Amino acid sequence: MASVEYERVGKSFGAVKVMEDISFTISDQKFVVLLGPSGCGKTTLLRMTAGLETISDGEIRIGGKLMNKVHPRDRDIAMVFQNYALYPTLKVFDNIAFSLQVRRQSKEEIKKQVDWAADLLNLTPYLDRYPKELSGGQRQRVAMGRALVRHPQVFLFDEPLSNLDAKLRGQMRYEIRRLHDRLQTTTIYVTHDQIEAMTMADEIVVMRDGEIEQIGTPEEIYDRPANCFVADFIGSPSINFLQGDIQNVAGTPAFHTGSMVLPLPTETVVRTGQKVTCGLRPVDVAVGREGPVKAEVILVESTGAESHLLLAIDGQEIRAVAQGRFRAKPGDTCALSIDPATLHLFDASSEQRIN
Amino acid sequence: MVLTPAQRLLRAIAAWAVVLLFAFPIYYWITVSLKLGRDIFAIPPKIFNFEASAKSYEEVFGISLGFEQGIAVLPGGGDFYMAPRLMDSIVIAVCSTALAVVIATLAAYALSRMRFRGQHHFVFWILSTRMMPPVAVAIPMFFIYKDFGLLDTYSGVVLVHALMNMPLAVLLLKSFFDDIPKEIDEAALIDGASRFLVFRKLVLPMAMGGIAATAVLCFIFSWTEFLFALTLTQTGLKTVPVVSSTFVTSTGTAWGNMAALGTAAMLPAFVFILLVQKNLVRGLTLGSVKQ
Repeated sequence: MASVEYERVGKSFGAVKVMEDISFTISDQKFVVLLGPSGCGKTTLLRMTAGLETISDGEIRIGGKLMNKVHPRDRDIAMVFQNYALYPTLKVFDNIAFSLQVRRQSKEEIKKQVDWAADLLNLTPYLDRYPKELSGGQRQRVAMGRALVRHPQVFLFDEPLSNLDAKLRGQMRYEIRRLHDRLQTTTIYVTHDQIEAMTMADEIVVMRDGEIEQIGTPEEIYDRPANCFVADFIGSPSINFLQGDIQNVAGTPAFHTGSMVLPLPTETVVRTGQKVTCGLRPVDVAVGREGPVKAEVILVESTGAESHLLLAIDGQEIRAVAQGRFRAKPGDTCALSIDPATLHLFDASSEQRIN
Repeated sequence: MVLTPAQRLLRAIAAWAVVLLFAFPIYYWITVSLKLGRDIFAIPPKIFNFEASAKSYEEVFGISLGFEQGIAVLPGGGDFYMAPRLMDSIVIAVCSTALAVVIATLAAYALSRMRFRGQHHFVFWILSTRMMPPVAVAIPMFFIYKDFGLLDTYSGVVLVHALMNMPLAVLLLKSFFDDIPKEIDEAALIDGASRFLVFRKLVLPMAMGGIAATAVLCFIFSWTEFLFALTLTQTGLKTVPVVSSTFVTSTGTAWGNMAALGTAAMLPAFVFILLVQKNLVRGLTLGSVKQ
């Protein structure tokens, strides 16, 4: 087990710089998720950690040791790939045992380790099969078993669940997290799925275009997104953005857009007249029949447990989530109430958080 | 799509027609090898109702099949006895195929997996060696071979056939290696394997289909190659395509013997393809990665 430190890490492919000045530290035993849209550099950063890509600038340290020039096999890491990358010509047992066989461990030791991993991952009945004879979820578990038997200092996961169907993904998510709680091995997990990030991570690193946008616990990222991008990326359904400005209403600042005026907590540091983008999570919009703000219903989608509503206020569309069944037809009028404490205010030009 | 019985019948007839169209010349060639001289040019052609004789085979292979044995002499004074020539062809085709495939497999893996400066130029250079027409290099090769003592030797012809096959084999195999996900190599490297171990234990078994296909192509090329086999050999060895031409002489053509040799020459190629065909089946990579 070890910490992983990134110091001013950069990556160029030829003349193209894809990443610059990435610096952060992953503490020992933490489960850290690198989250971002496709092409944000999260997989590249993971591959540099694994030693599969060269590090153009800066330093990566695992357990305090500089890794820049260290061969992947000597980094004491294990990686699970998005497409599993199982060895198709070897049986499940040999797939899992491969790293131990290469390191010339004794047959008894190999068998002990493989049995342990197979037992942990419910793979014991499949040890004698070839990868092609397994289902997607089983293949995924073999890939994890291959990583487990090494007892590495750091686990690297590269979007390991993205090829599974939704139900299996939910189950594997839980299994991976439980495994981490049991083994306490430092884990770096790359995904573009914010649900995976929110449910599994001790800490999330949100990335965009080769830069880090925010680092924090899932709660911090959700409750206090650092900018519009993070606010938009986290949360489902995604956050509403309302363009408006700050007005002074009876000595207290208020967010104003169209006919809507939302008073802000007095301690909010804003300038009167400042152009702002107001982020409002759908779950923070309370929908009822009576209330201060009127809205028109455009669409109601029921997920069973809750209802997702698309509403219109002064020509701006807003999403809201109501618990249970919300009976309304398109064209009906409903009322909204919004707790000012749940508003996220971002500067309209820099898109950075201001409250 | 569900076909009606009439459509199925029509499809079967079309398929058989194509098969017969391609198979007929081979069948006819075999009948020529079994016919006596007068039947070969009979009009109308005797396709089924001819008197079968093994005379041509006896002469070509110097064996008696129940007829009176006598090594005949070609009208031009040459030799009918071709069994050693068939052996020459087999040795040269097998050795040159093995040499080309072994080297090309290693080269193709390196080109598929490793990155180095000027790689694209290097691949193009490999291909460009095939752009020069063989006839343009045949004469210089003759002099080079003469100086190096390679003329009229197995190693000489093996070398030139392997060299001729190499560019195509490298490019073909590279595309097969490119199809094998590189994550498998990366996973194995992280697992602690060396490059060579990854190649030998994981990638090579997955590429067997491609290697078999390449080997078939190399073998057929060497088996049928004429120009270099003619210019770089004298009396010590000769391949089947070269000696086939000796049946055409100033005083006549020994069609029956030529057909007998041609028919016999089909067999080794046929056997070779049978041997490797089980590897030609794709799908060895199935189950490795989620497509």
